[in-house]
Amino acid sequence: MLTALVLTLLAAMAGSCMLGAVDFSLQDILHSPIFWQLRLPRVLMSVLVGAVLSACGAAYQSIFRNPLTDPYVLGVSSGASLGATVAILMGLDAVLWGVGGMALLSAQLTVAVIYRIASIGNRMHTTTLLLTGVSLTLLISALISFLMVLNHEKMDAIIFWTMGSFAHASWPDIVILAPVALAGIAVVMWHSRDLNLLLVGSEEAQSMGVEVERVKRTLLIATTLMVAFAVSACGVIGFVGLIVPHAVRLVAGADNRRLLPYSILIGALFVLLCDTLARYLLRPSELPVGSLTSIVGAPLFIYLLYKNKKSY
Amino acid sequence: MISLQHLTFAYGTRTILDGIDVTFASSRLTAIMGANGCGKTTLLRLIGGLLTPTSGQITIGGTPITSYSARTLAQQVAFVRQQQPTDLDFSAFEIVLMGRNPYQHRLQNESQHDWDIVESCMRQTSTWHLRFARPSQMSGGELQRVMIARALAQQTPILLMDEPVSNLDIAHQIDIMRLLRTLKAERTILIAIHDLNLALHTCDDLLLLHGGRALYHGEIRCGLTPDRIRIAYGIETTANDGHIAFAY
Repeated sequence: MLTALVLTLLAAMAGSCMLGAVDFSLQDILHSPIFWQLRLPRVLMSVLVGAVLSACGAAYQSIFRNPLTDPYVLGVSSGASLGATVAILMGLDAVLWGVGGMALLSAQLTVAVIYRIASIGNRMHTTTLLLTGVSLTLLISALISFLMVLNHEKMDAIIFWTMGSFAHASWPDIVILAPVALAGIAVVMWHSRDLNLLLVGSEEAQSMGVEVERVKRTLLIATTLMVAFAVSACGVIGFVGLIVPHAVRLVAGADNRRLLPYSILIGALFVLLCDTLARYLLRPSELPVGSLTSIVGAPLFIYLLYKNKKSY
Repeated sequence: MISLQHLTFAYGTRTILDGIDVTFASSRLTAIMGANGCGKTTLLRLIGGLLTPTSGQITIGGTPITSYSARTLAQQVAFVRQQQPTDLDFSAFEIVLMGRNPYQHRLQNESQHDWDIVESCMRQTSTWHLRFARPSQMSGGELQRVMIARALAQQTPILLMDEPVSNLDIAHQIDIMRLLRTLKAERTILIAIHDLNLALHTCDDLLLLHGGRALYHGEIRCGLTPDRIRIAYGIETTANDGHIAFAY
């Protein structure tokens, strides 16, 4: 089943490379600079980001024993958006990684503030963490709207960024994102059994031999880094981290040793599909991929929930 | 054998346990009793390594528990909490299998050996027929027994249980206490319990807590007297024929 999914993903990547503002046949594609310079990095980026967001969503949902946690609730994305907005307004978008770098910094800062508020001694208080994350997210999106209204002329660039896009994916982005993503995903999967035990409860996990606080800290650092790098490369793509692990859980069960690999592959496939649609549907113009993930994902997910309800 | 040496624990300025010196022997079922908030749960959590003492120490077989890692402590002490997670999307078999975690390596799957242990623990607790059921489909008593099976799968010489019978009807209460009596051979079992008569008839020893100190530690039959019950709970009782009667 996993092998089939990997093959599907590879086939979809190849197919996606052929489609776009200009279509290619298999023969032409390898000689085309559009393929090498635009399509391939874009496809790789969407796959990496989909995998990262889903892996992190699945991990957060187990760590916090809360179905509503995803990379965005914890303030990573809003922090990154604010950084990116400020960078765009300062004219840093001319510099390579100017916007991305600011986004990364600001995401880390936001997460640090949230963790700081939510930790008691060396323990993390989940409810406080989530509530702080939600309030800061709201505060920051209000700040961004405010900045947008004050700066009409840059509005398009900011909107493009806050809704997410792979249109500017380039090899330098991939070279930075890929190692972070692969290392981070490896760290998360290394802890799959700990994540299962954490689902029973922090104290139960501790009494079954998990160094709970150390494991949580390691996972939070790894996931925050991954998401921050992903968001700073392509902007905010909502919904994936929340929905993909839930949808997979309905089919594959809660065991993280199955859930994580399936979520990662399905997440990659899902974001790839949405991005392909985003650049194909209204070609040669583009739709924001962040809105497509919601338009495609929400009805699908609600259908799965409804179908699952009936089976009880 | 667990030894508490001048064990003290405080939440901020509120002292819960104030210098407890007690030794729990093996093959005994000990009731930890006392009024709400007297520190029963705190004591169990300290022994389970879930809290760190403010001062004093806990040793298991002479070794302080601070020198154990979470993994090696989980091979010595199993802990069943009072509240059970009912929303868990794992089958009873998978839950009991989690008890094997302290013996497994990260990249290794469960072995036939682990599966055999899980089956015998589930048979011992009469939960084998529930192996495919999820917590949401079980009664409180069934889930409690599954969680005990999970603790047994850890194969520890020490078993701690926080109010294992508080939410159960009388038939299930007796059922669980009988089960614990069959398990006590070569184990040290400590349970926090409220029902005076149930404890009197099923446990061997009593640790009665009051004001952060041990009001009594020893055989329960000699220790649970009307005088001590008055001090610990502030109620009047009479003891006749090994039964405690309350004045309502």
